[in-house]
Amino acid sequence: MEQTLAVYVCRGCDIGSSLDIEKLRTVATGELGIERVRDHPCLCGAEGRELIRQDVLAGVTTPVVAACSPRCMTEAFTFDGCRTERVNLREQVVWTHEPNHEDTQALAEDYLRMGVARAQKAERPEPFQAPVDKTILVVGGGVTGMTAALDAAAAGYDVVLVEKAPRLGGRMATFSRAIPHRPPYRDPVLPDVAAQVAAVQAHQRITVHTGAAIERISGQPGQFDVSLRTNGTATAFRVGAIVQATGWRPYDASRLGHLGYGRSPNVITNVQMEVLLGSGKLLRPGDGKPARRIAFIQCAGSRDKDHLPYCSGVCCRVTIKQALLARQLDPEAEAYILYKDIRTPGQYEDFYRRAQEDPGIFFTKADVTGVDATDDHDLRVTAEHTLLGDRIQVAADLVVLATGMVPVAADGEALRRYQDAKAVVAKGEAGAQLETATQTVEALHHLEGTGILNLEYRQGPDLPALRYDFPDSHFICFPYETRRTGIYAAGAVRAPLDSQLAREDGSGAALKAIQAVELAAQGAAVHPRWGDMSYPDFFLQRCTQCKRCTEECPFGTLNEDAKGTPQPNPIRCRRCGICMGACPERIISFKDYSVDIVSSMIKAVQIPDETEEKPRLLGFLCENDAYPALDTAGLRRLKYSAHIRFIPVRCLGSVNIVWIADALSRGYDGILLIGCRSGDDYQCHFIRGSELMQTRSSNIREKLKQLALEEERVRLEQIPITDVARLPEIINEFAAQIEAIGMNPFKGF
Amino acid sequence: MTTAVQPYLVKPDRRFVEAVVARGGGDLKRCFQCATCSVVCELAEGNRPFPRKEMHWAQWGLKDRLVADPDVWLCHQCGDCSARCPRGARPGDVLAAVREQAIRHYAVPRFLATWANTGATLPLVLLIPVVLLAAALLARAPLENAIPFGAEHGFYAEFFPHWLLIGFYGLFTGLACLAAVVGIVRFWKAMRAADEAQEGYAPAVGIVSSLWRALRSIVTHDRFAKCKAQAPRRSAHLMAFYGFLALYVVTLWAVLDLYVNPYVFGLASLYPFGLLHPMKVLANVGGVLLLVGCVKAIADRRRDAPGAAAGTAFDWIFVWLLLAVGVTGFATEVFRFTVDPATALASVAYATYFVHLVVVFQLLVYLPYSKFAHLLYRTVAIVYAEHTARRRPLLAAPAAVRSLPTPATAAAGVGGGQGRSADTDVLMRPSERL
Repeated sequence: MEQTLAVYVCRGCDIGSSLDIEKLRTVATGELGIERVRDHPCLCGAEGRELIRQDVLAGVTTPVVAACSPRCMTEAFTFDGCRTERVNLREQVVWTHEPNHEDTQALAEDYLRMGVARAQKAERPEPFQAPVDKTILVVGGGVTGMTAALDAAAAGYDVVLVEKAPRLGGRMATFSRAIPHRPPYRDPVLPDVAAQVAAVQAHQRITVHTGAAIERISGQPGQFDVSLRTNGTATAFRVGAIVQATGWRPYDASRLGHLGYGRSPNVITNVQMEVLLGSGKLLRPGDGKPARRIAFIQCAGSRDKDHLPYCSGVCCRVTIKQALLARQLDPEAEAYILYKDIRTPGQYEDFYRRAQEDPGIFFTKADVTGVDATDDHDLRVTAEHTLLGDRIQVAADLVVLATGMVPVAADGEALRRYQDAKAVVAKGEAGAQLETATQTVEALHHLEGTGILNLEYRQGPDLPALRYDFPDSHFICFPYETRRTGIYAAGAVRAPLDSQLAREDGSGAALKAIQAVELAAQGAAVHPRWGDMSYPDFFLQRCTQCKRCTEECPFGTLNEDAKGTPQPNPIRCRRCGICMGACPERIISFKDYSVDIVSSMIKAVQIPDETEEKPRLLGFLCENDAYPALDTAGLRRLKYSAHIRFIPVRCLGSVNIVWIADALSRGYDGILLIGCRSGDDYQCHFIRGSELMQTRSSNIREKLKQLALEEERVRLEQIPITDVARLPEIINEFAAQIEAIGMNPFKGF
Repeated sequence: MTTAVQPYLVKPDRRFVEAVVARGGGDLKRCFQCATCSVVCELAEGNRPFPRKEMHWAQWGLKDRLVADPDVWLCHQCGDCSARCPRGARPGDVLAAVREQAIRHYAVPRFLATWANTGATLPLVLLIPVVLLAAALLARAPLENAIPFGAEHGFYAEFFPHWLLIGFYGLFTGLACLAAVVGIVRFWKAMRAADEAQEGYAPAVGIVSSLWRALRSIVTHDRFAKCKAQAPRRSAHLMAFYGFLALYVVTLWAVLDLYVNPYVFGLASLYPFGLLHPMKVLANVGGVLLLVGCVKAIADRRRDAPGAAAGTAFDWIFVWLLLAVGVTGFATEVFRFTVDPATALASVAYATYFVHLVVVFQLLVYLPYSKFAHLLYRTVAIVYAEHTARRRPLLAAPAAVRSLPTPATAAAGVGGGQGRSADTDVLMRPSERL
């Protein structure tokens, strides 16, 4: 498409008084050859906007607005039918550098050159249009899944609810009483699941499949094709988004032998206790005698580095409920609760108080060291560090272990390794590869049949198991988020929680699923690049099947054919550009973000001669955290070196190392890469950006060696968005270091 | 270190918990073991501070530990802990209820302690001295004929001769003393056994020296002086204490004057004393102190003040009894100086005197069974604490821990740091309980 560029320089917000606008205009008209160059004292005002609008009507396709940060006034500078290019003269030039200084002027001129270069190459993205089914698939018919189904249906979406058990209700339906979730928070209440089951079954928009298993899900959001097997019968249908609400199972108590489990029939878990309480008779499983002295051991296998390192958050209240129910069933029964800490947050404190009031319920903080059975089925619980004594024993008829919650989720990545190894074994290839594969199959054999969603995704048939095996991807920024677009985890499979929070999760995940199908219909990205219409284009003729893109995509967007050629699924994509950064052949590009566009920006900068003693540094800034942090530094009028030129990138993972090579051979003296924090508590919106850059930087070092350049010329930094004050320090420190190393010998080549 | 100790088999006793709850420790179960009580308590020192551990033991009904615990008796129930407890568990009241249970535990025979402290059985317990005194009066003439007693003086002796009075009270207070000694010995042994089973019994100070230190502390009420929330209780207790002591000394002197001085030292008996006799003056001063002390104690208890004691039958019976002793004593004295024995009014005077004798019996003979037994057990506990250096701290408490704002300092704007007084936020009045 033929483009007509026009440059608009705003003189407001200190720009006019800090820069020589005339010289800037000369750069645009003379050097860059732009015919239409205007300046205005307040471009974002009605008059300024009208000025641009009239030009757009007169045929300008790409206005280049040199004013404030592209993070400001986005609406004001959006014009129908055209792409606006923004040049950040305010936050990153005049507010952060000495006014009317030659270096500041050079910086502004370079940014204008870079903006025009980008404007010349970038195109307006056309959305990916495809037929989209807006049905929501809910996997799991417990309280979370039922709530998600009812809420999505109430919002006008068709829902398919799949439950593996013969009936709906989940675990809550097996409990005789539940924790109270509303004032006065004092006594156990009826679980109220039956009403929800009836509502689901009666709803016209909800199709329920019980006794069902998902055999296969292929496709992408808006186009998920689901194969289901229900009691031997296969069905297939299409859905748009998926809510996984597969719930929890209790921690495997057979690993709690030190607490007597498996050594006495009278040591049971809290889930078994629910059954006992539901039976209406408190009898010891060992000999059928009444259980009058019931010891509850809290955190049984929880908050324990050898078992579950986390707190499940519900066991304290469950134990309180069970103790109260036991006392109701048998007024002569006594409950001894041995805890690390009682955790009854918020108003649930009243539930704790209620149990405390009961003279038959005894609480003590204790570290339980063992449970021993005597010959006549009696039990002795030994504990340390109590206020009752340094070492105590409590005699009990029944010991209840308050075990924690484990997500009912498959480990997608491990399943993939297992399936790949199985395929190798099946092929019968010889040599070391077969041996390794056989070992993998043996080691992961227990995963056979654990698949839940059975996705046809290159990166594994289920969601990846993340921290503590929960598939929750990024709760702090994006609740219910998983690493597969259009698939949302909710309820106890996402995090340990109680039924009330599970219901809230169901509602939240239903809303996320609705967003996913609606955005898919528009051809727009879901969070975090919400509404982005661009998507990656693969020039596959030049693909070498290196599989870097299919491996490195954090969201499993790309499948592979038998040869290893990537098969794009644009609706799964979150538009981070990591594939683009990974590709050694540079065949992946977005309409408005590509290797070529950024290379042109790099080349647009004027590199001063070695004799001018003015180094040029290049910075790649993550758009999500580092770029806004640098804008904030501008708001605070913090100063930093004017020798650096920044290019915003969608994610540090999208930085292709060819840019670095280009820059160094062009004569840049140093390159600074600033991304988000990686590691367990990563802050990267695309999970692995900084991490991937770190890996690639080893290749960069190789490149530097080839060019006989110092390693220190390329530096990777990670900062959180809040670390505004440190950013200028990092920049200045880097500038000083490069100055000390000296100029790039490739200048002028 | 911990593994060397044999595990202690916890036997939760719901009945004991219920007893403590029923007898003033009604908020016991609210405690969630935060230890605010032990931190704010000015009396809790050393490496085993109270009342946190006692609260925990009481929640589990560990009677064996509580009755063998000297710390419950080192508490003066000044209410600082009850005022500051974030859960309104009122540790001060719980410890008072535990003390009652301890008195009952060591009482011989035990039923007397139960009867004497229960409103419903109190008339029955009062009936015992009435019957016994009536029996003594009936037995008077036959006894007088059988044994030649010395001459009697005065007014009330016509009605109830001194020899009979001394014989009667000598016998029954003697029995009470026996019960008291049994109780004290069992208490001492229990404390010692508990220490031996736990951290070891290690006497650090001799018994005589310990006793001397305990008495010095009691005479000065120095520990009582550390109380903050219920500071006025100290003056009430001081008055009642010295009032009672004065009256006790006068009574002993009267016995000496009547039966020892004339026969042993050859001194003429001055009994009955005139109004200006030093002993009479001491008696009247003591009586007034006792009355004022009792009235003040009753008024203090009724006041809805932060940390005020709950007031159970156990407490009220004792304080009203003490007041009754004072009131009937003064009435008896007034009648002696104003009523002509020949007139019919004499019978009113005799009746008053009879009531006085009944309440004195109630006070003295039931001492080991009533709240008055605190005189025994608290003294013994203080002696034991001195003897075993229980209050010696393992580590010096940081000054900040001890300088929490108190009602007095907070109101004055000192100690609390901020001008906003802590007492309105933190202090819990009995009527505001959760």
